[in-house]
Amino acid sequence: MTRKVDIRFLIVMLLVACGWQCALAQDSDEKPLRPVATVISAQYGHASLLDTYLSSVRYGGHAMSINYEAQQATSFAPESWTRQLSVGVDYDYTHNPAGNHTLHSLMVDGRWGMMHRWKDVFTSGLQFQLGGATQLRGGVLYNANNSNNVVSARINWNVGLLGQAIYNTHIKRLPITVRYQAALPVVGVFFAPDYDEAYYEIYLGNHSNLAHFGWWGNRFDLDHMLSADLHLGNTILRIGYRNRVSTSWINNISTRDMTHYIVIGLGGEFLNIGAKNRNKLNNKVISSVYQ
Amino acid sequence: MKRWLNILLLIFALLPLAACHEEVEWKDNPYGNFDALWTILDEHYCFFAYKDIDWQEVRSRYRSRISKDITSRELFDLCSEMLKELQDGHVNLVSSYDVSRYWIWEQYPENYNERLIDEHYLNFNYRRASGIKYQILSNNYAYMYYGDFSSGVGDGNLDVVLNDLAPSDGLIIDVRNNGGGYLTNVETLVGRFIDERIYAGSIQHKTGKGHNEFSEPFKYYFEPARGRVHYNKPIVVLANRGSFSATNNFVSIMKSLPNVTVVGDTTGGGCGLPFTSELPNGWSIRFSAAPITGPDGKLTEFGVEPDVKVDMTEADMAQGKDTILETAFEILKHKRS
Repeated sequence: MTRKVDIRFLIVMLLVACGWQCALAQDSDEKPLRPVATVISAQYGHASLLDTYLSSVRYGGHAMSINYEAQQATSFAPESWTRQLSVGVDYDYTHNPAGNHTLHSLMVDGRWGMMHRWKDVFTSGLQFQLGGATQLRGGVLYNANNSNNVVSARINWNVGLLGQAIYNTHIKRLPITVRYQAALPVVGVFFAPDYDEAYYEIYLGNHSNLAHFGWWGNRFDLDHMLSADLHLGNTILRIGYRNRVSTSWINNISTRDMTHYIVIGLGGEFLNIGAKNRNKLNNKVISSVYQ
Repeated sequence: MKRWLNILLLIFALLPLAACHEEVEWKDNPYGNFDALWTILDEHYCFFAYKDIDWQEVRSRYRSRISKDITSRELFDLCSEMLKELQDGHVNLVSSYDVSRYWIWEQYPENYNERLIDEHYLNFNYRRASGIKYQILSNNYAYMYYGDFSSGVGDGNLDVVLNDLAPSDGLIIDVRNNGGGYLTNVETLVGRFIDERIYAGSIQHKTGKGHNEFSEPFKYYFEPARGRVHYNKPIVVLANRGSFSATNNFVSIMKSLPNVTVVGDTTGGGCGLPFTSELPNGWSIRFSAAPITGPDGKLTEFGVEPDVKVDMTEADMAQGKDTILETAFEILKHKRS
């Protein structure tokens, strides 16, 4: 009985899939072009770092970051869904309040998200995008002054909300896109040693209690940015302010990182025009951000 | 749309509650720095119970001596005096002008004279690799001096050293005045003197701020260095009170091996893996955070006793003799026969 139902279900699914593929094949020439909005930005500002595994005092100093962001309308519903990839490398060079010790922080992260978009909300040119994202972020903090707690490793994988409010307008004849974007991880998994557990003990083989389920009860992260993209011909000049907050509280170890950046970036919207797409140049173009 | 906006508003309303926790930030004044120092140790130091120290009582005794116009150096001296109550060579307060210390070896006979050995036993003719000074002596016993566990010990160098020393009738490993370094070098070195996996000890760490909050002991083992040159003849390890920290750990493990005899004085101890923190004024504080036992399951914070206790005598030194080294020769001679 169960087997019959399974076979019938499979056949139906195959037919649906086949029909969908046929439909796609029929209108493939009408498929809109989906340029990738890409910006590479250099970011500089101030970092404030507290990691009680390393020190009881807060460090402050320079924050630097290189970030790559690419956003594109999705292929399955280009008018109403977009996807975004963001990859970055951050380096913070900070000192203790007395100025005699240095703490270095080097982090790498990648985030991929997909958002639903609502266009012309309240007023023409204003759109909202909201969806989910997954992020992997990791790196080390290094305090050369220390003994067996000389580094604090950070690895965090999470899923959460990703959203942006975008307003496309003009200042005189200059097209400008004002955007506020926020990434808010909700749950995830992160690494943390036990209170006063040396990495030497981990090296010896004690791997218990290192991975933790992350939620707003033990960690909070927020990465948000207010930016203006100036459309200078085909080039986009991005200027903005970005703020990143990352805190955790696990095993009686407290971490609190806060960085403020000034953002300057260059980019544009890029189309892959291979032989395959050459006959579609007159198709509709759907921009994921600037439309 | 309105529903989504409501959800968003709710999320942002909840944000202030997220990962809510308070962190005390001390002020950079005499009381703030003293309180920071006392609290860091109160929450992280691992031997309060083992040493039966009433840290609260210590606080009230020393804090009452602070006044608002106390100078930085006076505060440093006061804090240093307080730290000596911990009787721990791993506890150091570091400022730009001084390092507080409790170095037990300063209170005992030195029991080591490098010049004497270089001149009268090595004849200033020795080889040196990976921080190890070595030679086969005229009585065909091999001698190697390792003075710092921070000196990297390369496997290739060890192969060369032990190959050169292979024709000898016994090996003397001198770790006197070796103040410690990397525990990974202990593992590298011990791996050359064992033929099977050995139980090396256990390590614990604090799991919370309470004086008795510890993890379960984690047992760890050392493997023989496979495919590498080993030394399997009788071994004597020379130790003194200056054999501290990682060296103390090395001696405790070597002592457990059947073909090894430890000669000299009790080691300097220091079986707590040190961590470091700092005060608002920039002074660093190093302290024992994770206790490590030897293979016998005991803490060696106050040192490892030798199998044969012997001090260097003035009379021997006057004749160019190292009493401890001479005792090692006798032990190797006895084992050979």
